[in-house]
Amino acid sequence: MFLAIAKGLSITFKHVFPGNSTTVQYPAVKLTPSDRFRGLHRLVPEQDREKCVACYLCPTVCPAKCITVESAENEKGEKYPKVYTIDLLRCIFCGYCVEACPVEAIEMTDAYELANFNREDFEFTKERLLK
Amino acid sequence: MVNLTIDGKQITVPKNATIYEAARDNGIHIPVLCYAKKLLPYGACRICLVEVEQMKGRLIPSCTTPVTEGMVVTTTSEEIVKVRKTVLEFLLVNHVIDCPVCDKGGECDLQDLTYEYEVVTNRFEGEKFDLPTDEVNPLIERNMNRCVLCGKCVRVCDEVVGYGSYSFINRGFETKIATAFDRGLHCEFCGQCVSMCPVGALLPRPFKFKARPWQLNEVDTVCGYCGNGCTVTLGILDKKVETIRFNDKIGVNDGNLCIRGRFGYSYVNSDDRLTKPLVRKGNQLVETEWDEALQVVADGLKKAQDGKGAGILSGARLTNEEMFLLKNLAKTLGTGNLDHSGGECYKGVTEGLLETLGVQASTGTFPQIENTDVVLAIRNDFYDTHPVVGMVINQAVRRNNAQLLVVSGKGGKLSKLPRAKTLLSGPGLELDVLNGLCQVLLEEGLAKTDGLEGLVALKQSLAEFTADKVATKTGVDADALREAARQLAGAGNAAIMLAYGLPYTPLSKELAVAAANLSLLTGIAGREGSGIYLCGEKANSQGAIDLGLLPAADGLGAQAMLDAAAGGKLDALYVVGEDPVASFPDRDKVEKALEQVPFLVVQDLFLSSTAAKANVVLPAASFAEKDGTFTNAERRIQRVRAGVPSPGEAKTDGEIIAALDAQLGGSLAFTGPEAIFAEIGKDVPAYAVNYTEIGPQGVVWGGEILQPVARKLGEAVAAPMVEGAYRLVTGSALHHSGTTSTHAKGPLAVVPEPFVEMSRADAATLGVKEGDLVKVAGNGVELKLKAKVDLRMPQGVLFAPYHFKESGVNRMFKTESVISVTISK
Ligand code: SF4
Ligand code: SF4
Ligand code: SF4
Ligand code: SF4
Ligand code: SF4
Ligand code: FES
Repeated sequence: MFLAIAKGLSITFKHVFPGNSTTVQYPAVKLTPSDRFRGLHRLVPEQDREKCVACYLCPTVCPAKCITVESAENEKGEKYPKVYTIDLLRCIFCGYCVEACPVEAIEMTDAYELANFNREDFEFTKERLLK
Repeated sequence: MVNLTIDGKQITVPKNATIYEAARDNGIHIPVLCYAKKLLPYGACRICLVEVEQMKGRLIPSCTTPVTEGMVVTTTSEEIVKVRKTVLEFLLVNHVIDCPVCDKGGECDLQDLTYEYEVVTNRFEGEKFDLPTDEVNPLIERNMNRCVLCGKCVRVCDEVVGYGSYSFINRGFETKIATAFDRGLHCEFCGQCVSMCPVGALLPRPFKFKARPWQLNEVDTVCGYCGNGCTVTLGILDKKVETIRFNDKIGVNDGNLCIRGRFGYSYVNSDDRLTKPLVRKGNQLVETEWDEALQVVADGLKKAQDGKGAGILSGARLTNEEMFLLKNLAKTLGTGNLDHSGGECYKGVTEGLLETLGVQASTGTFPQIENTDVVLAIRNDFYDTHPVVGMVINQAVRRNNAQLLVVSGKGGKLSKLPRAKTLLSGPGLELDVLNGLCQVLLEEGLAKTDGLEGLVALKQSLAEFTADKVATKTGVDADALREAARQLAGAGNAAIMLAYGLPYTPLSKELAVAAANLSLLTGIAGREGSGIYLCGEKANSQGAIDLGLLPAADGLGAQAMLDAAAGGKLDALYVVGEDPVASFPDRDKVEKALEQVPFLVVQDLFLSSTAAKANVVLPAASFAEKDGTFTNAERRIQRVRAGVPSPGEAKTDGEIIAALDAQLGGSLAFTGPEAIFAEIGKDVPAYAVNYTEIGPQGVVWGGEILQPVARKLGEAVAAPMVEGAYRLVTGSALHHSGTTSTHAKGPLAVVPEPFVEMSRADAATLGVKEGDLVKVAGNGVELKLKAKVDLRMPQGVLFAPYHFKESGVNRMFKTESVISVTISK
């Protein structure tokens, strides 16, 4: 029993000494999240338009119902999202939208610094999401 | 009945059922792709293959194989699943996987089957189709890259619509569906092919990219256009009618619609809709509040009633409940001057049929027409006014080999149906031909005269209508006339079809009497399976007659009111849901009446040409915004359901009328359609039906066959002969109905403006090409109309539809059905 406690404490002590801590001095120091991290969404741009074809699968699958899509026809007769907005205050970062997208038009970036002062600033419009 | 076993379940089905139908009716699922309930079995896709014990060694398509006694069927097995998967793989070889941008996604049979059978890879490889899409037509998006060659569009257009736009062309992998010479679609635009297509190869263009099917709210209601009373299912997104959904489960139309019902919904969303009451102040109509507007109307009507009197003129697209309220409002106001639509046009029913048969409605129901042996259509326009009944006639002809007889002054769709015999008369002389038919029946001893009154008088009056005399006057072949009469007399079941409405005002009573005579002499009236159908032009024309929205004994009818107003003998007119300036015969008189009348109130959806002259304009709700009932031309009472809110402050006619009644000190209250319907039942015994019991098929008052209460032959009269090198007739055009459709984008996309139709020969003589502006002069009026040149018009006969207010056709037509005109470039 004592042996087990000692073993545990030894691990604790190891982390107490400088250089072995996992805590970083945010915001002076920032971590790189894993590739699979689900942060702020991004709409993938293509040459002259967004890749999204306004298929309505992501708003349909979204459990938080925070995606608004309005489809329309562009000059070339293609379907495109006239409106694409994510209300980030309601998003639960589940990533279903990414999974549902048949054309890989939406992805989730590693951006996690999403705090803001105004409610409107959490409305991520198509233009903001395309950045 | 036949007994068989499907998946171990013992079932009994009628002997003409297929295996698929037997399974479906017993809750056993077999997938299908090219099968459709209303089409003949075809067997193109092979997705419905099943195993039959008695036919071992191969799989059997269940949708084309009839059941036999003792059959043992298995609907799923490893082998069947494998074959179905392979069929899907084949279909997906060339099929572009457009699902994300295809509007069919979510209700696509191919998508659903691929999902059901988990076809995630394809063992076959091939080039994807890369065919151009049909961008020529305004309403139907054709993308043949998505086509699975099920042939449903080809079949529905032929079997049901009778138009025949499509056919398969090319062979093998190159096979595709094409229109004549692959030039793109140019047809009736009824949209039946769109509703049949199992994939996204045919889609409604006005709905392109608007929404996904699962986002739409669906509300079943009744089409607000014609008297056919088709069920339309509104597809609603965000309180806006965005499309009309396919629905063959309920209603009398089996999912069939015409262009008006299918594509004519957009007027509901129009920006031109009235949203606030308008009151004339000085020379201007200014927006005001309801309270003020109603006060002005009530005061004005009361003052008029104390003076020379007020009159109420209604359209025929109000619900039964609203008409009932309107009738009672007239009582509160104390006026008997009450009438609907034109006042002359429905006299065929209220006077013609009443005098002869003693009833004021069609005697049969539409589904019976399909099983008749002979159908007599009076005027080719019957198809144009009631297209979906026209499709029933087409099915009677094609499926059940009925003989179609058309009595008409011009060609048209009905004349083109297989084996149709057209008794082509001079314009406006259909009446004489009908009398001629009666005369032949009597002369050849074919008539069933037992128990008929007025036979002697009829015989006397028919002396002038022997086949030869009629032939000389009308130009119909005498032998053809005799033959037609014999066919009518010999038919087991027969139907006589006649439409009435604003453009068919002249001789409407006489025509109805002649048709009724014919129905009596042939025994059609009241016989099981047969019937005489007098079909109203508007959605609730029949309701208006049933409810008695007609002048009181001492009251003025529509024409009399207009005459009185024009002569300064009427102090107020309250026009509800009608635009007389645009649609009533004799526009000059109507305009004079509306200008002379000191107080004019118009209740409408739009600022119509009539409303522009009003003292007060009240904004009303469209059919998609109200609850209640319509009665269609076969006496079917059907529920109308609100799907969207009215724009702005517009209110339903019922609410407005009740509020107005309150202002006038009456006791009417808008208690909701159910309560009002119950009130109607107390007044009109045929309507004593429980509102909530009006089911998906509606309730046909009087039963499937309405027995005539009288059998009194009317006297035959002749139609006036109009001579002239060019003779003009008016009527309805297929793509429009009344004036409302001229606010709807769909019909307007196909027929955007008024026209005058003429034969090729006349066009050649005049040196006129399609689309040229021509001057048509007659009756002291000159009209400038675009020329439309085609094959259906006989030489010397011109046709101009009445729907467009800018055409001024009703300036020319006053009380006549044919006008001698001159025409020049
Ligand atoms: S991450 Fe989840 S909650 Fe957020 S938008 Fe996507 S689907 Fe909706
Ligand atoms: S699922 Fe993809 S293509 Fe479809 S709407 Fe969302 S982002 Fe656009
Ligand atoms: S819209 Fe009607 S007439 Fe035109 S092709 Fe389709 S089914 Fe035929
Ligand atoms: S267009 Fe549609 S309905 Fe016509 S054959 Fe192709 S898949 Fe079938
Ligand atoms: S206009 Fe008449 S025929 Fe056409 S869909 Fe409406 S009710 Fe049916
Ligand atoms: S559904 Fe039977 S062959 Fe197509």
